[in-house]
Amino acid sequence: MNLTSPFAWSLYGIVGLSLLGLPVGHAMIGGSILYLFLAGLDMGTAAEQLLNGMYSSFLLLAIPLFVLAAEFMNAGSIMDRLLRFCNAIVGRFRGGMAHVNVVQSIIFASMSGSALADAASSGKLMQSLMTRDGRYPPAYAAALTTVSSVIGPIIPPSIPLVLYALVSDTSVGYLFLGGVIPGLLLGAVQMALIAVTAKRRNFPVEDKVPLRELPRVTWQAFPALLMPVILLGCLYSGITTPTEAAAVAAAYALAVSALLYRSVTLRDVYHSLCTSARITVSIGMLIAGALVFNYVITVENIPRTLSALLSAYQMSPLVFLLAVNVLLLVLGCFLEGTTIILVILPVLLPTAKALGIDPVHFGVMTVTNIMLGLVTPPYGLLLFMMNKIANVPLRDIVREVMPFLYVMIGALALIMLVPDLVLLLPRLMGYKGS
Amino acid sequence: MHPSLSRAVDWIRRRAENVVAGLLALMFVAFLVQIVFRYFFNFPVGWSSELSVITWLYMVLLGSALWLKEGEEIRFDLLTGAVGARARRVVAIVVGGATVVLFAMALPATIRYVMFMKVEHSSYLKIRLDLLYSVYVVFAVAVIVRYGWAVWAALRGEAPEETDVTEKGYGL
Repeated sequence: MNLTSPFAWSLYGIVGLSLLGLPVGHAMIGGSILYLFLAGLDMGTAAEQLLNGMYSSFLLLAIPLFVLAAEFMNAGSIMDRLLRFCNAIVGRFRGGMAHVNVVQSIIFASMSGSALADAASSGKLMQSLMTRDGRYPPAYAAALTTVSSVIGPIIPPSIPLVLYALVSDTSVGYLFLGGVIPGLLLGAVQMALIAVTAKRRNFPVEDKVPLRELPRVTWQAFPALLMPVILLGCLYSGITTPTEAAAVAAAYALAVSALLYRSVTLRDVYHSLCTSARITVSIGMLIAGALVFNYVITVENIPRTLSALLSAYQMSPLVFLLAVNVLLLVLGCFLEGTTIILVILPVLLPTAKALGIDPVHFGVMTVTNIMLGLVTPPYGLLLFMMNKIANVPLRDIVREVMPFLYVMIGALALIMLVPDLVLLLPRLMGYKGS
Repeated sequence: MHPSLSRAVDWIRRRAENVVAGLLALMFVAFLVQIVFRYFFNFPVGWSSELSVITWLYMVLLGSALWLKEGEEIRFDLLTGAVGARARRVVAIVVGGATVVLFAMALPATIRYVMFMKVEHSSYLKIRLDLLYSVYVVFAVAVIVRYGWAVWAALRGEAPEETDVTEKGYGL
């Protein structure tokens, strides 16, 4: 590549401005304008690409609606009921509350598409429950909430998978199905690690909830437990498009919280709208920037050049996947995940396709990897968040997170080596991909 | 910042929040109408999906232009978070200056493009596209004004504020 070409200058601009703290979306628009200027093209093209791209990205409307659904659910007293339900099931084992934390995350993951939202909604409550009377070390409790929140965007619905669907032209429905087993797998390895640690560190057991109480506790949590069924039902029966399914989920969540649990005020609704809108605007701006920059990348034919370059190395698919995973794990230590999905993955995708790697498998694997980036120091958004919520020093949380990170990387390796873990459910529902 | 100016900025920000939240509510309702009409009355309506796409475009551009603080956007703050007030000021001048120059450079061509779109209309609601797309001009001008202001403030000795990680809208 020519180091003084317009494209190179635009890259310097984007990387430089982003590193210095300009919002990444703005930096991509600015860098693209620089490219258009240096290449002697019409600078109005930036506006054209952004406006037409945003105007035709109907799929992305699922993002605000999924966030809204989780926010509405949260506004009700759903978390209490969910925790009582989880406690009745897994509280009886050693390290019971730690298991509750993971199971709660798995269930909440099927209503929410965001890991940060999961940590924000249950983090405070979980922290006080686990550290009450000094039962668990605060750092362990905080670390557990961070790692269990990672499951959120892997089990459907999932905001990162919607973004991946956008850049890869893959069906959101199949991607969502593909995330189910990997998400459960992450939960399983976490619970296995908890079981081992609980014995060694002698974690407490919760009071057994008698079995005859179980129907009542389940019944109380039932409307919330029904949400994933409704969501997936809408999606896979073909009644609605994925975006409409998100709207149905939000409507259901609002109805349950407002009518059944009667715990939602108009102020809560407005607050939920604002929270969802804030997330929508910040992701939307990044997407807008990526739309403009992707035009530059397309004009310069970068993905195909890279694909040709890599194919000259005669890489096997497995070596490529391994390289991608290492690259993403490293990038995840420093970069924020949305950026990686919208900017880095489109460059890698043509090569993956040329090597015959299934796009659904590739998507679920890379998104899982990128979510691990949320808990890898030095730049892990979930770590920062729990550091703030739980008021535990970052260093201590990181120390307790590390063992979980290792077993999760093990699970990621399994997902990479056994594509069927991802592809089994999509295929059962008629996915024809390789 | 002068107290009355700071009040005005706060006022704009609060009204922008009302508008953006309203747009999201509108999008939500448009979807519900669409689903109800199609499945209960067997009568597909096209205007609702057009309306929801418009609300999405406006939410993002207006929200970013007038509502969100810089710290709430998706940005890389590992480096700027680690340095002192003096260095943050220098960075604010460099970054703000570059942003103003780039967006201002493209502004004439941007306005030309948006005005050119007056020849087209949206499919269902028949809104002239130059009117619809003019929101990008609002966004571009807001970026120039905001970063211009940030440079001015930094030149006068104010360091940009630090950001609160839990306030971010990353959505991951």
